[in-house]
Formats: sequence, structure tokens, C-alpha cells
Amino acid sequence: MKSMMKILFRYVLSAAGIALILLIFNFAVLVAWIIQESAIEQHDYSTGQLANSLIESHGVYTLSESAASEIEKQYQWAMLLDDTGRVIWSKNLPPDVPLKYTASDVASFTRWYLNDYPVYVWRHSDGLFVLGRAKGSTWKHNMEMRHEFMDKIFVGVPAVLILNAVAAILLALLFGMRLFRSLKPLAKGIEEMAEKQPVELSTRGLLGDIAVGINKTSVRLMKQEAALNQRDNARTTWIAGVSHDIRTPLSLVMGYASQLEDDPELPPAKREQAGIIRRQSQRIKTLVSDLNLASKLEYNMQPLRLNPVILAELLRQVAAEFLNDGLDNCYSIEVIIGKDAQNAVITGDQELLRRAVANLLANSIRHNPKGCQIKMTMEKGRGICSLSVTDSGAGFPRAILENLNNAQYSAGLQNHGLGLTIVRQTIKAHGGSTEFHNLSSGGCEVIICLPLSAADTRA
Amino acid sequence: MGMVMDMNDILDCKLLMVDDEPELRQMVKEILRKEGFMKVISAADCHQARELFASESPDGVILDVSLPDGDGFSLMREFRAGSAVPVLFLSARDEDEDRLLGLGLGADDYITKPFLPRELTLRLRAVLNRAYFPVVLKQKEKPVFSLGEIQVDLNSGLVYSNKGQFTLTAKEFALLEKLYENRGNIVTGDSLCQAAWGDDLYGYENTLMVHIRRLREKIEPEPSSPRHLLTVRGLGYKLTGADRK
Repeated sequence: MKSMMKILFRYVLSAAGIALILLIFNFAVLVAWIIQESAIEQHDYSTGQLANSLIESHGVYTLSESAASEIEKQYQWAMLLDDTGRVIWSKNLPPDVPLKYTASDVASFTRWYLNDYPVYVWRHSDGLFVLGRAKGSTWKHNMEMRHEFMDKIFVGVPAVLILNAVAAILLALLFGMRLFRSLKPLAKGIEEMAEKQPVELSTRGLLGDIAVGINKTSVRLMKQEAALNQRDNARTTWIAGVSHDIRTPLSLVMGYASQLEDDPELPPAKREQAGIIRRQSQRIKTLVSDLNLASKLEYNMQPLRLNPVILAELLRQVAAEFLNDGLDNCYSIEVIIGKDAQNAVITGDQELLRRAVANLLANSIRHNPKGCQIKMTMEKGRGICSLSVTDSGAGFPRAILENLNNAQYSAGLQNHGLGLTIVRQTIKAHGGSTEFHNLSSGGCEVIICLPLSAADTRA
Repeated sequence: MGMVMDMNDILDCKLLMVDDEPELRQMVKEILRKEGFMKVISAADCHQARELFASESPDGVILDVSLPDGDGFSLMREFRAGSAVPVLFLSARDEDEDRLLGLGLGADDYITKPFLPRELTLRLRAVLNRAYFPVVLKQKEKPVFSLGEIQVDLNSGLVYSNKGQFTLTAKEFALLEKLYENRGNIVTGDSLCQAAWGDDLYGYENTLMVHIRRLREKIEPEPSSPRHLLTVRGLGYKLTGADRK
């Protein structure tokens, strides 16, 4: 919705802007034209100059040549009236122009027309100089303004402009709101579609076609989502089923192998062989349960029993379990907890996290049969705590390292490194991140970041 | 429970084993017999189990979760309606674990298949002991043990050494008892704090160190170079060389 408001805002602004620009442009053109017109008038001989070029000498009036050609060019005729209203000189005077005028005649044509000829007058030393143009060539209008108005024009023009701008904005807002109202359900529909909710928009109105398109897309998306879910469900259920079916026969294998292993009547070599069967059965058990857990974590079907977990305690506990479980002397496990990390609390599934940490230790032990030093370091940062598990062993093979750090390969439950896949999935399910590295000094490092619990109040 | 009176040993318990796999039933019977449980009866489904439960009134039930004609959870509810018989579940699915842990069904314990015989007998003994000999267990004498030349009696909370006789304080007693129960193994500082103060380690690290130091003064011939109560750096402590009397 925020983006829609932005669109509306921009629309109103640009509409009002366009209106204002047009207004100013028109105004500017008008002003420019008026100035140009008057410039033309001024460029040529003014009525006064023409009048002054009519010179009397010994009772004869002569017009300078340039003035004469100017009158030919711009005007049609000219005459000079003396103070009694008689024509005492003329040039090209049309026959329908009288030769004698009264004071009222003069007063009436001065500003307007003489027998429909537009005329211009100027005071001459011997009377009144009159210039006439062809009939219908010029429209004459006498402009009059109240003085107050002319005084206020410099306030008035900007005020009118501002009023226009306000009106333009209001109109744009009105139309914009209408558009906004019709776009709003569409925008909401697209948002809902992104959240994988079914969308059913009304297809009436101006934007009905777009609504139809959105509805269709939504239906298709829902179908795809359902199909994907069904496939994931089927896969997880299938894996769960297979692992269930393996467990009962494996119980018999493991049970009898264990009994044979403990049978004092059997020769030691046979008992050792039974021991191998028992141990391998236990490995299959772990694999089956890992496979099941990994597939459930992958498709978000593993319920998380979320509780406050003190991570430092969990690390010590797992390390102690490994050491108490008869870990060979060629391995060492060191736990280093940062001073402020001792009480770091995260919200998580204690059992799954325990399993993840145990998987990391087990991985280091299994892949370094000649022994290694394992170090778990925990620090507390802003809102997160980080756990680094390093060993001094052989490190990860390159291909596995790439797979582990590439989340898009997560769907591939590789038979290799299932334990580490579970680590990554578990941490992801807890909203954390996992990185796998090889150390330049040899060995590997796994860095886990987990968000601290909101209730980490003892911080 | 009247039958408790007749029972001298958990091996006298009559057990009902319910599983649809005949070979597994056979194996479990053998395991239990070898362990000393002589009265073991078995059923293949809910129907048969109900009949046997009514006619034989067993003292303990080992119950598979998925049975051909119903599930173990509802069967347990039926049994529990009229008796407090202890039930140990056998489960073949991780999903059952979620239900067993999450729903508080009242099952006494559960084992996931596949299991080792030793695992089964240990869990079963624990379940039966809890159900039939709880009082006896609690009244059982506390251990008396030696640490080299030093004698410790957890009944009186006294330590006897050539330096003399010391009385353990309540906290020292709780710590030593916890360490002795897990003798030979590392006990994390967290577990020790839970045992002595019923709280998390955080905030008690120094207190714990002080109490361990005092304990060493009583049970170690040379407290500065301990031989029995060892520090495992970063993790906790370990009691070694304890011999039960």
C-alpha cells in the first residue's frame, strides 16, 4: 500500500505541475507576443514622426520622400486639418472622406474610425495630422482600467497563478483518488498472492482485465503450491515408512547379534564377528533415523519443541558425554565459552540442538581416525551467539565443502555427510546460519550463528 | 496394590509383551528369560492383549505402538483405566517419540527399535523398580566408599582420614554424592549446580569453586594437587579412584 500512496502522490504532483507549466507557458507566449507587436509598431515611423516630416514652406506643404513611401506602405492616405476643421493638405485622400469637419466630428473619429477607415491623429504645428488605413485592416479598441487594478496587478498575477495551482492539485487529487481506489484491490491481490493466499478479485470496472489476469495467476500458483506440498509430503511419508519398516527386522539382527556377542560358549573370534554385526546394525539405525530427520527438516515437517536453551550448558554436556563415553585418548575436546556468553539463552529444541552439536563432534572423530584436537568456542554478539567448532584433522573434501555451503543443494540428501546436513537444517530451522570452512593450518571449522532468545534477559 | 506384598523381587513380575512380529516376540521372551524374568506372556494384537490382560493381570506391559488392529497408546489408556500397571513402549517411528515426549501420555518409558538387549532389560528393570519398590529404593543405605586412604560415609556425611574426622556441609555432601553417582565420569558444572543449588551454573561458578576447594581439603591428602577430585577444564569435575565398600 505504501507504494500505491507514493504513486498517487507523484501523480498528483505531476498533474498539477503540468497544469502550472502550461499556464506559465501560455502567459509567457502572450507577453512575448504583445512585446513583439509593440516593437514592430515602434520600429516603423510613428504617427508623430510622419506628422513632423510634413513641412510648410511658403504656403506649400511638402512631405519628405521617406515619409511619403512609409505612408504608401503602411497607410492608405493622410491629411492635415487646420484649426477650423478644413482639409489644407492631403495625400491619396479617398473620395468618401469629407473635406470639412466640426469639432464633434474630430472628437468622434480621433480614437476610432473615420467612415470606417481606422485613423491615427497627431498634433501638427498647423493643425491636426490624420493618417488613415484601409477599411477593415485594423481592429481598434480602447482599453481602460481602474487605477486600483493596475496597482494591484503585481500582487494579482501571482495570486491567480497560486489559485490555479491549488485548483490543479485538488482536481488531480480527486481523479487520482478514483484511480487509487480502483488500483487498491489489485495491489492487495498481488501482495496476497506473494504470501501464497488464494486471491479472488472483482473483475468489474476499468481494471477488470488486469483483475482477471491476477485471479488466473493466483489459481495457478495455488495449484502448483498444492502439488509441490503433496510431493514433499509423499516423499517425507515414504521415507518415514521405509525407516519404520527397516526398524523391526533390524531389531532382530541387532538383538541376536548382541546375544551372540555376549555368549560365553562361542569362541572369541565368532563373538567378535557378532560384535561387528551389532555395531553395523547400530550404524544403520543411526543412518535411518538421520535420513528420516533430515527429510522432515527439509520439508518443515519436524515439530520443534521450543524452550529456552542455555547453549553453554548444552555444549559442556555434549562434550562431557563424548569424553565419558570412552573417547580414545588421541582425541581431545576443549570447550571455551566467552565470559558474556556463559548465560546466553536461545529459544530452541534442546534435543535437536544437542544432536546437531554431537553430529559435529562425531564427524570430526569419524573422519580423523588417527585422532585430532577438537575445540568448541562460543561468543555472544549483538542479538546472536556464534559457535565455532574446529578440529586439527584432515578437513572437508572439496566437493563436500561446496555442497555444504550451497543451500540450493540442500534437497539432495547425500549419503555422505548426512550428519552435517542435519546440522545445517537444524540451525536453519532455528533461524540461524552455518558456514563450513577448511583451515589453512589444516583441519576444518564450522561456524554457527544463532539468534539469541528475546527473553535473554539476564544479559 | 496387593501384589506388591507377594513380590520379593522384580523378577517375580509377570510381564505381557505385545507385538505383531512373532520373531520379535520370541527374541524379547528369550532376552527376558535370560535376564531372569520367568513369567512372560505375549500377544500379537490389541484383541489378544485385552483378553490376556483381563485373565492374567500382568505386573508390567511391553507394548508396541503400532499394532494391526489399533495403536498402543489407546490400548494403554484402556489398561490404565482400571490399574496402574507400568508400561514400557516399543516404538519403530521417530514420530512416536514426539507423541511420547509431547503429550504426557503417562507411559513409564519407551525404547525405539532397534534396541540392544541390555537397553531393554535396564529400562524394564528401572520401570518395574519405580512402580513396585519405590519406598525400598529410597530407604536404601547410602554408599560408603574409600578414596585411597580416606573413607567417606554418605549416611553420616562423615569423612575419615589420617588428618582426622570431618563433617561434610550440606552443599559439599550434595556435590560429593553427585560426583560419586557418576564416579569415573565428567560431571559438568551445570549438573553440580543443579544438584547443590537447584539452579543454573551462571552466577555460581565462583561459589562452586569455593565449595570444591573446601571439599578437597577434606577428601584429598594434598588439596593443592588433587588425585581424586579432578578439574576438567571448561567442563566440570570428575571423581576417580572411588571404591565402594
